[in-house]
Amino acid sequence: MRMPRLFRTTTFRLTLLFLALFAAAAAAFLGYIYVATAGEVSRRADNEIVREMNSLEATYRQGGVNGLNTAIIERSAGDRPFVYLLMDATGKKISGTIPGSPIDETGSGENWTRFTLTDTDSDGAELRHPARGLQKRLYGGELLFVGADTGESEAFVVGIARALWGAGALIIILGLAGGVLVSRNVARQMQGLTEAVEAVRGGDLRTRIAVRGVRDEYDELAEGLNDMLDRLEQSMGGLRHAGDAIAHDLRSPLTRLRARLEAGLIEVENGKGDPVQALEQALVDADNVLTTFNAVLAIARLQAAGRAPDPKPFDPGSLATDIAELYEAVCEDKGLDFKIELTPRLTINGAREILAQALANVLDNAIKYTPPGGAVMLRVRRRSSGEVEFSVTDTGPGVPEEDRARVVQRFVRLENSRSEPGSGLGLSLVAAVAEAHGGRLELSEGPGVIDGFGPGLRVAIVLPRPE
Amino acid sequence: MRILIIEDDLEAAEAMRRGMTEAGYDCSHAADGELGLEAARAGEFDVLIVDRMMPKRDGVSVVETLRREGDATPVLFLSALGEIDDRVVGLKAGADDYLVKPYAFPELMARVEALSRRRETGAVSTTLKVGDLEMNLLTREVHRSGTEVDLQPREFQLLEFLMRHAGQSVTRTMLLEKVWEYHFDPQTNVIDVHISRLRSKIDKGFDRAMLQTVRGAGYRLDP
Repeated sequence: MRMPRLFRTTTFRLTLLFLALFAAAAAAFLGYIYVATAGEVSRRADNEIVREMNSLEATYRQGGVNGLNTAIIERSAGDRPFVYLLMDATGKKISGTIPGSPIDETGSGENWTRFTLTDTDSDGAELRHPARGLQKRLYGGELLFVGADTGESEAFVVGIARALWGAGALIIILGLAGGVLVSRNVARQMQGLTEAVEAVRGGDLRTRIAVRGVRDEYDELAEGLNDMLDRLEQSMGGLRHAGDAIAHDLRSPLTRLRARLEAGLIEVENGKGDPVQALEQALVDADNVLTTFNAVLAIARLQAAGRAPDPKPFDPGSLATDIAELYEAVCEDKGLDFKIELTPRLTINGAREILAQALANVLDNAIKYTPPGGAVMLRVRRRSSGEVEFSVTDTGPGVPEEDRARVVQRFVRLENSRSEPGSGLGLSLVAAVAEAHGGRLELSEGPGVIDGFGPGLRVAIVLPRPE
Repeated sequence: MRILIIEDDLEAAEAMRRGMTEAGYDCSHAADGELGLEAARAGEFDVLIVDRMMPKRDGVSVVETLRREGDATPVLFLSALGEIDDRVVGLKAGADDYLVKPYAFPELMARVEALSRRRETGAVSTTLKVGDLEMNLLTREVHRSGTEVDLQPREFQLLEFLMRHAGQSVTRTMLLEKVWEYHFDPQTNVIDVHISRLRSKIDKGFDRAMLQTVRGAGYRLDP
């Protein structure tokens, strides 16, 4: 038999455990109260009897049996709560309020007993009271018994016991009810989480856990999990997108390579083509596929990660100087005027190597498209917004405004750029690098048309203000 | 020169072995990390070529184990993983160089040759001499046939690397990695521009060109 779901929850089991502990503590506490009060009541009754016995014994020492007898008769007539019995040495009654002693033992010491007092009320009905008595042999050999009705005190003790049992039962009932309530409450909250986890396991990454807005630990957990799901969904989306993109991007160059190999094979078979040349061309094609693959993979990785790998703070000026040193010679070689302008002592937090690659791509483009006699300028500065930008401005033909958003997309190459070598992935990679750093890529017009050059292009990698 | 190839991809290993035998090297092959480790311990090799991911024992563990045992044979790491972190892991394990798959065969050869040569230059000297070209590493002066050659700092580093590997082919990627310390492939051949500048400084005006272009591979400085 399966237990109801509620009773299988950890909270309920914990509640039971605490209830058991609490019940044990309560039992000890109530037990102590019982012993303390009930014991006190009977001890007090016994003390009363002992005191009466001592008082009578004093009378006996002064007035002998006769004096004691008189005292007993006097006391019996009064309003005292005791019963008396005076017997001679053999146990025969001399005087007293009860017919015989409830104690058979007639030793020399003191003997305690419990017995029952029988009484008749005004209607003649018989009443029985629990009583307690002390019997003592006096030094003259007589036996004296003093008893007292303990009905009232015993009733009190019974009352206490009943109250304690009631309290115990109440504790357990309230504890159980509380446990059930708490478990139900927790179970309800956990159920939301469990359902969400089940849904995610089933492949639904858009599930989110309801946040109640009371800012307790469940809300915190729910928010944390929702945040995790956001990131997971984002990176899963990135991966799926990357997979599609890689498949798409590699299919065309691989198709080209295959076609070229096939054509080469046919030509060589027909004795027309040169096998060495065909193989060399195939090698070039394979390398191109590889270059494309690497670029696509790098873009996909950055997009999927959504952040720069292992960012560290560094001076963007020093990075620009290093890259400039690599490209300055290329500019000079091509007859381009190269300038670099830096704001010193800036700091950005980023992945130096991939930023270097991005900057190299931008410079590469600028050099490629600017005709000899033109100029290329690299600049690093801080914007008034606190953002840090690397910008490369050239005096090449530029990119018409309506095409600027498009050239950043993968494999988009404008008509007049097709004669230049290039994969069409350069700016896409730059954009991916900028975005991975929380920044963006901006394209705008260069210095305008001057002396037959221009209008030029200004490409800026804008990185967020360092924290 | 004896080379041990530790590579689980049999076809790749066979292609490598064929190419290297062709080039006059003595090649052995081990098909997994355990066998590779045994072979490396047993034999005297000049260079080990170790694949990163292998069954039984991966390349990082092979190199780490050898280095712990005091074996300093130069190691070239091959890996299909091209991430920066991954390269750092390989070099930290004790590899001397790192090449990402797929690679061009001349690139592999150039690197193996560079590694094998590294072992021979044990002594630290303050001057390098290749043919009539002399480089003083302390004063940072370069002379060819007694005529001083004025070089920019980067040109000096470039020439130093070429002189240390005189007679060997060095690839553009190697130069970019070792001289500029960049690990990406610039689209334009920026290296060619720097080489031609250097060439104009050390070869111009002399009847014999020392800095040669090696077709399909890179460059070579001949004595």
